[in-house]
Amino acid sequence: MDDIKVNQNPKLGSFDRPNSYIGRSLPRENAKKHLEGGGQFVDDLVLPRMVNVAFLRSPFAHAQIVSINFEEAKECPGIIDIFTANEIDEICKPWVGTLGHLGEMKSPEQTPLAKSVARWQGEAIAVVIAKTREQAEDALELIEVEWLEKEAQVDMETALNDDAVIIHEELGSNLFWTRTVEQGNVENAFKEAETVVETTLDFARHTGVTLESRGIVADWNKAEEKMTVYHNGQAPHMMQHIIAKHFNVNEGLVRIVSRDVGGSFGIKVHVYPDEMAAVAVSKKIGRPVKFIADRLESFTTDIHARCHKISGKLAVDKDGKITAMEVNDLSGIGPFSMYPRTSAIETNQVLNLSGAPYVIPNYKAIGTVVFQNKTPMCQYRAVGHPIAVAITEALIDKAAMKIGLSLAKIRKINFIPDNSYPNKTPSGVPLEDLSHQASMDKLLSIMDIDNIENLNKDDLIPGTISGIGVISMSEVTNPSPLFYGVGGAHISSQDGASIRLEGSGAVHLSSSITEQGQGTEAIMKQIAADQLGVSMDTVRVTLGDTDATPYGGGTWASRGAGIGGEAVLKAARTLKTNILNIAAAIMQTDIDSLDIANNNVIRKNGEEGISLQKLAEIVYYRGHEIPKGTNPELLATASFLIEGVPFVFTNSAMGCHVSIDQDTGIVKINKFWVVEDCGTQINPKLVEEQIRGGVIQGIGGALFEECVYDNQGNMQNATMADYLVPMAYEMPDIIVDHVTTNSGRSIIGAKGAGEAGTGGAPAVLMNAINNALAKVDAEVTSQPITPEKILRSMNKI
Amino acid sequence: MKAPDFSYYEAETLSDAIKFKSQDDEAIILAGGQSLLPALNMRLSSPSCLIDISKLKDLNDIRLEDNSIYIGALATHTQVMESSIIIEKFPSLVSILKMVAHAAIRNKGTHGGSISYGDPAAELPAFAVAMNAEIIVSGLNGNRSIAAEDFYLGLFETDIKSDEILIGINYPLVKNNEKIVFEEICRRHGDYAMAGLIAKVKTYQSTIEKLKLVFFATGDRPNVTSKTSEIVVNNGYEYSVIKKSLSSEIDFAGDLNSSEEMKLHLATILISKILKKLEN
Repeated sequence: MDDIKVNQNPKLGSFDRPNSYIGRSLPRENAKKHLEGGGQFVDDLVLPRMVNVAFLRSPFAHAQIVSINFEEAKECPGIIDIFTANEIDEICKPWVGTLGHLGEMKSPEQTPLAKSVARWQGEAIAVVIAKTREQAEDALELIEVEWLEKEAQVDMETALNDDAVIIHEELGSNLFWTRTVEQGNVENAFKEAETVVETTLDFARHTGVTLESRGIVADWNKAEEKMTVYHNGQAPHMMQHIIAKHFNVNEGLVRIVSRDVGGSFGIKVHVYPDEMAAVAVSKKIGRPVKFIADRLESFTTDIHARCHKISGKLAVDKDGKITAMEVNDLSGIGPFSMYPRTSAIETNQVLNLSGAPYVIPNYKAIGTVVFQNKTPMCQYRAVGHPIAVAITEALIDKAAMKIGLSLAKIRKINFIPDNSYPNKTPSGVPLEDLSHQASMDKLLSIMDIDNIENLNKDDLIPGTISGIGVISMSEVTNPSPLFYGVGGAHISSQDGASIRLEGSGAVHLSSSITEQGQGTEAIMKQIAADQLGVSMDTVRVTLGDTDATPYGGGTWASRGAGIGGEAVLKAARTLKTNILNIAAAIMQTDIDSLDIANNNVIRKNGEEGISLQKLAEIVYYRGHEIPKGTNPELLATASFLIEGVPFVFTNSAMGCHVSIDQDTGIVKINKFWVVEDCGTQINPKLVEEQIRGGVIQGIGGALFEECVYDNQGNMQNATMADYLVPMAYEMPDIIVDHVTTNSGRSIIGAKGAGEAGTGGAPAVLMNAINNALAKVDAEVTSQPITPEKILRSMNKI
Repeated sequence: MKAPDFSYYEAETLSDAIKFKSQDDEAIILAGGQSLLPALNMRLSSPSCLIDISKLKDLNDIRLEDNSIYIGALATHTQVMESSIIIEKFPSLVSILKMVAHAAIRNKGTHGGSISYGDPAAELPAFAVAMNAEIIVSGLNGNRSIAAEDFYLGLFETDIKSDEILIGINYPLVKNNEKIVFEEICRRHGDYAMAGLIAKVKTYQSTIEKLKLVFFATGDRPNVTSKTSEIVVNNGYEYSVIKKSLSSEIDFAGDLNSSEEMKLHLATILISKILKKLEN
């Protein structure tokens, strides 16, 4: 407990009472397990009679399958069978990645294996079933496919042209979805504007690169007609529904188990065709089937993210007040919209979130989402935020420069005031409990902005220029039913918790929230122990098993603490009331004279109480000792969902200082600062891990990561040597601080903290780099910002 | 990403390994495995047999000879970096090896493996060429010594014959009036460079008398630029002149992280960086 921070939420009780754990940086227990290599991941699972699969995948971005011959492959040692779409489609119903609440979306039916046409390089067309993965891969090499290569529509910018290759004939065009948001009168505002700035930014595709790749073991038990799926996903109950629906299994007889998961970042919350194929194979052959994506498969079949080109313009008056903003975003999502969340949400977030921290009376945003022959694109950590924040903050810096205001001043002039909530984003989305002004003030103070020139001493080194950036952002967290459920997707916006006192006095907690390495298990335990009045080691937690946990949404969109945590809080409080009622009956006293602390029911007047162990023994083993009519329930279950608003927003302010070597184009991040307002922090160290990790992923997108394609649609860098993720050496010093504005939507007051770093870092880095490049009249507008792009912007090459 | 079937032979003596290799054209030598094993797992390579020489004890020797330092093929990068002989006589090699990948890879990867693999983006082949090293291979007809500059024939192509195994490298000692200077420019620490340069400089009364420039990550092999060296020695550094000269001497090959133009620019900059280092 070296880093004790006091929670500032009076609804949670005083901080100096015993077992006060909320707000403390307690060590997470499961870290030890992972450090010792004792985790249980999907690939660790070996079931009797289990088989392995490997997929024959299209080597072309767009090609017709004329014929497949696997006679020779079937003779390979260990081969059990080989299936194509013909066999798999008998078992699995197709799906369509559309939602009903955001206007018309047009996406074709998708099946686990491509039927006659492959539409991206890496799309699976056949599945080889063998005793071992090695044997399956040996057989893959002997399958003969006659391909008829078709012209590929690779470039999203030409996807709607008259001469574009139409990827799905039945849809008539490559348009998936388009939406326009307008508030006020934008046209008029720009006409009357005194100063207008414009820019266009490009964001390359990148992907999540989870440490543990996607994996599934499907086990169809024909006798029980039960499907058990071990899956390293984020949303077990969503998968339960989907597998029941598409494999025609009674939903109550589908069990999804998601134990240890090695990172997800939104990559593992979607339905993947190869995973559905593995389930189909198990149902068809009646044996457990394992599929573990290798790194090459991860790069070409895990969803990619970003892939946007966005133009924007901003009008400001002579004082720097923003009068209007307009953005126009184009995004390419591969050949299918992902199921069941669709591939529209990233663009929708761009439309919702551009300009979000500021008062902008006239606002227009147009989004266009098109198909192309590349790996499917979908929601990844900080969905849409990097694009929305980067375009907003780039325009604001340009405006500041044009009218001669400081980077801090122009933002302060335009913030939605902290005392004005509830309020709305310029796009009209409800906002509550935010603190852009206070967060920016704190950021400027920890950056020591008035003396920042001291940091610019690198400018004195010949060939080096330095620059600073500051940004503000709003972060979508804790979604309500208005996010997916309203559109027809069976994705729970509720989360549940169930807590019980056991005969030994131990406490067992189960929650529908899942753990993928971020420490959800630890914070659930902290909330339960804190609210119940027991020591941390008393509480055991079960997550990630649809047979063992309450129903709920799982972990995504930064909903664990705010929604899942509130459910735990409510359940723990009910259990406490139950315990105290029983204790009051046994002790023949008033419930108000009792409390629980240090695993004991205590009398507030200091007289002797009763231990929870003794109380549990009486209730479970000697129930006749309890006065008649006493409720003997030593368990409680609760659920929670966000009502009334689409999301609970979080906000943050970020700053960074960079130096650029003008000879090599290499950017050095000297320092990075984040001020986050996520309301109550359950475990400050875990919050800061989320922020730092997020910043690193944001640095990845801004400077390094890109899924590079040639113009035939072949991915060029699908290895960890060629796809550059930031490593320890590339990580700067990141200073994290906080402003606390509790969410009024819950008792716990927590908001999400997982998106900010990834959402804001690309914007602040780009601004800092352009702040430096402005000294030599250069500018970069395309991410990742590579050394070569920087040198080209300076006309050095 | 599972390797195709291959047979495996653990050699107990060098002559056994040579004999085995001479009998099987499709057999590959396995030393540290840091390039070979990923290639196998990605099925980019499907050898009939892996001849594992990692147990041959007498091939990891690092020793000081009369006028040279001998590094056995199986010495790992970590062993080389920690060798007192290398630290004393070849401090530049230690600083070069610090830029070779990461500690885990350096613990397994071998000196001879890197030299014989001949990756044009790797540091050690360029170092061997810059140092005028002798590369010693052993075959059915005994040992043969090849000048490093003649050893590299093209992209991943060396002068090792099918019955030969690289056993060690002999580096002439650096004389008192000589210096080895090294610079590389990477996007991430430990990556293959976008461009790199190892220079051997002979000075006389603090002026450069002789300069050997060897670039890596620029073309299909370590690139020696003797004309550019002459220009630098005779006329000093002038960006546009040097750039023009380099473009005529190196057949630049772009990669995912840097185009040909970028590499040419960086190669030109590298020379100025090296000259600055020499001034200090």
